[in-house]
Amino acid sequence: MAILGLTLRSLLSRRYTALLTLFAIALSTALLLGVERLRVEARASFAHTISGTDLLVGARSGQVQLLLYSVFRIGNPTNTLRWDSYRDIARHPAVAWSVPLVLGDAHRGYRVLGTTTDYFRHYRYGRGRVLEFAAGRPFDDLFDAVLGADVARQLGYALDQSIVISHGAGSVSFVQHDTLPFRVVGILRKTGTPVDRAVHVSLAGIEAIHVGWEGGAAPRQAPTADAVRAMDLTPQTLSAVLLGLESRLAVFRLQREINDYAREPLSAVIPGVALQELWDLMGVAERALLAISACVVGVGLLGMLSAILSGLNERRREMAILRAVGARPLQVFILLVSEALLLAGAGVVLGVLLLYAALWLGRPLIEAQWGLYLAIGPLALREWALLAIIVGAGALVGAIPAYRAYRYSLADGLTVRV
Amino acid sequence: MAAAAIELTDVQFRWRPQGPLVLDVPQLTVARGERLFLRGPSGSGKSTLLALLSGVSVPQHGSVEVLGQPLHALGGAQRDAFRADHIGYIFQMFNLIPYLSVLDNVLLPCRFSRARAQRVAARSEPQAEAMRLLDHLGLGGDLPQRAVTELSVGQQQRVAAARALLGGPELIIADEPTSALDADHRAAFIELLLSECASLGSTLVFVSHDRVLEPLFHRALCLSEINRAGMA
Repeated sequence: MAILGLTLRSLLSRRYTALLTLFAIALSTALLLGVERLRVEARASFAHTISGTDLLVGARSGQVQLLLYSVFRIGNPTNTLRWDSYRDIARHPAVAWSVPLVLGDAHRGYRVLGTTTDYFRHYRYGRGRVLEFAAGRPFDDLFDAVLGADVARQLGYALDQSIVISHGAGSVSFVQHDTLPFRVVGILRKTGTPVDRAVHVSLAGIEAIHVGWEGGAAPRQAPTADAVRAMDLTPQTLSAVLLGLESRLAVFRLQREINDYAREPLSAVIPGVALQELWDLMGVAERALLAISACVVGVGLLGMLSAILSGLNERRREMAILRAVGARPLQVFILLVSEALLLAGAGVVLGVLLLYAALWLGRPLIEAQWGLYLAIGPLALREWALLAIIVGAGALVGAIPAYRAYRYSLADGLTVRV
Repeated sequence: MAAAAIELTDVQFRWRPQGPLVLDVPQLTVARGERLFLRGPSGSGKSTLLALLSGVSVPQHGSVEVLGQPLHALGGAQRDAFRADHIGYIFQMFNLIPYLSVLDNVLLPCRFSRARAQRVAARSEPQAEAMRLLDHLGLGGDLPQRAVTELSVGQQQRVAAARALLGGPELIIADEPTSALDADHRAAFIELLLSECASLGSTLVFVSHDRVLEPLFHRALCLSEINRAGMA
């Protein structure tokens, strides 16, 4: 106790240096915790890009690839799945619901997704959140389209606007199907998932875009809307199918059945497992970010070390005085270590406050920008551990000047030989 | 009869095991209540002797007894505690901790020694006792609350004296406490120190080059006369 009071007064007398050190530690702590929070939340959010779907089914391929094109709409399916197979699987007694997906076209760089209205009913993201409409309703007519939040915002589209959907996935297309305009009937709320970047139309709508393209070349005479409406527009092939099961217990059994499907080579993957694998591929960047913020903490602590060390020589006098009134060398050691501990401890506390202030201020912005919802909860166990490591490292760093002071006070005794 | 304040017998000391002999004192006795004036040229081993008396160092050979307690029988921490309990120490200069107020500097020994704190408390409140001492040394008014950096050197030395005297330790060691003072302040300082020591009954070991001060003490000693290591 005798020492702690002295430590406080000593720090107060050097309050500007002490405050600077404190802020350096606080900022680096807030940064480390912030990166850790973002990492955990991004991971959770990523893992919840799709939820509520028990199996993803597509033509035989790797699970990451299937996930990439069916959920993230990156790349193209190497092969398609026949409509008959889909009917077969959808009728399976274990299947509660199924949502067929057809990918392939683009509208000004945004992927067009053909699906059914079940998509809006069954698709889940986050912790079971459903798709909500910011405006309008699901598609109903052949030429209705529902836009993801980013599509509507980036392209400045409003309800009832006519848009042209081109064949092929490029942002620039040579042929525009401007004879068959689609009408925007719904705009989805921001989700922070690839749903935001898709244009949703009915399965028949996707087929309609391709009418006349069967030969692979652009039709000489574009079909009229009425002629198209008269056709049978049931798709022959699909890109992928989302399945919801009656019981999650059946997941592995059904997965095996689909993988062993006799009439066509298919793959069924569990989205959570595939997402985990994909995330692990990107884990390097995540770890690098964490490593960088750990380095920032290291720099903060080094700042403290240099601040304490540089003042040490001037304080040899002070140590001799303390020794004269009966302080033990160990108490001199404690005086300096407790100084470092106090700085690190207060820095960490201030850092946590900074973090919460930043979270509170930044949450609306982050949610609007990236659809990443940051929960402002208590510190997680891992975060406590990080804080303990920082304070421990602070004490360890403080032990360096403290040990020097200890040696000085043993060697100097009551006479300072500078 | 009580033991002597200081009793050195056959003391030999080297800073390093293979180093030269710095101190070789066959015999030195200081009676309780005695005021000893100790002088000696630089390098005669004064600092070493004070380190031994205050228990910071122990001799490789011989015994140092302070107030009847053989210091070599105590461990390092015990010697530190002994110093805190029984010895008041005044340096040549820079006696004060810069981040503590004048009053807190005076009260510093109470932080490290419960015995000393209790002895102070037996007389009155520690703060009041510190104020009384400061007042006696001409440092009254708002001075005790001020930062030590605002004080003149003379004032600082008097604060150091107040700290050494607080709780009436049996032994006061003053290491050239007046060398930074001018003649007028020096006289005033010595007078105050001597009268306080007398009223508290403390033994005083006063190290100085200044032979003018000698007559004020019971006894004067030249270290080089008793230190055989210095003669070589």
